[in-house]
Amino acid sequence: MGFAYLIVLLISIFGMAMLDRRFGLFFWRDGWRAFVTLLVGVVFFLIWDIVGIDAGVFFRGETSFMTGVQLAPELPLEEVFFLVLLCWLTMDLLAGSRLVLDARAQRRAASARLSTGEPVVPGGSAGPSGSGSATSSGSASSSDATTDGGRA
Amino acid sequence: MTYWAINAVFLGLVAVTAGAALLLRWVRTRATRASSAPGSLAPVVRAAGLATAVLLVMTAVFDNVMIGVGLVGYDESRISGAFVGIAPLEDFAYAVAALVLLPSVWTLLGSKSETEAAKAATAARRAARAGGAGTKAEEAR
Repeated sequence: MGFAYLIVLLISIFGMAMLDRRFGLFFWRDGWRAFVTLLVGVVFFLIWDIVGIDAGVFFRGETSFMTGVQLAPELPLEEVFFLVLLCWLTMDLLAGSRLVLDARAQRRAASARLSTGEPVVPGGSAGPSGSGSATSSGSASSSDATTDGGRA
Repeated sequence: MTYWAINAVFLGLVAVTAGAALLLRWVRTRATRASSAPGSLAPVVRAAGLATAVLLVMTAVFDNVMIGVGLVGYDESRISGAFVGIAPLEDFAYAVAALVLLPSVWTLLGSKSETEAAKAATAARRAARAGGAGTKAEEAR
């Protein structure tokens, strides 16, 4: 009986939570919505796993890294934590990529304004209509992420 | 049943969810377009591309480690035999599904403010179109 895999998963999930908290990516953007999304994802992938196990496609390896606790035949306890990690990582990555790309577009728009001698609005997201990505970054879905990120 | 056959079923379900989310997004965008700047899909697509690249690389690395240390095994007669390192290519369907399913569910759940913003925009547009009398009718309703 080993706890290595479970501990590694828990540490990784903790990392996802910290990134989420710091940048307001998923649970720290809309807690209830994130909870339901994560739950739907984990249940969906567990069903996928069970169908795969049932069809004999994959099975649990015999290693000393796992606790040996099984939720169903060949379905280790650790799989639930793995799926939580996969889902949380996915949503953190999607929101995080958006933040990174938006920040880069804003920096580029700011330096473009500097070089053309236009006044630079500090922290202003409303760029000239020509710079497509910077302008649209202020719209709809991204705006709540940006504000929450600033608050966190 | 092969691994690919199972994946096809689940990826199909993911596609249906994604279709529903895109439809909802389209309806919402159409409702809010009159009052705010047109929402471009381009930044969303670029961010999704970056996230996809990172997640697929991470999947390749960690799946190889997990299989390497013996956490999981596969019945060789049920997998295609296409591998990334020692990881069956089929395993990547999980990552792809996560990248499509989760944001779709997130969109479908909608936030209260987004739904209300869309509703308010529609109402405002209707009122504007019908003129002053329309506003009264909107209030009466």
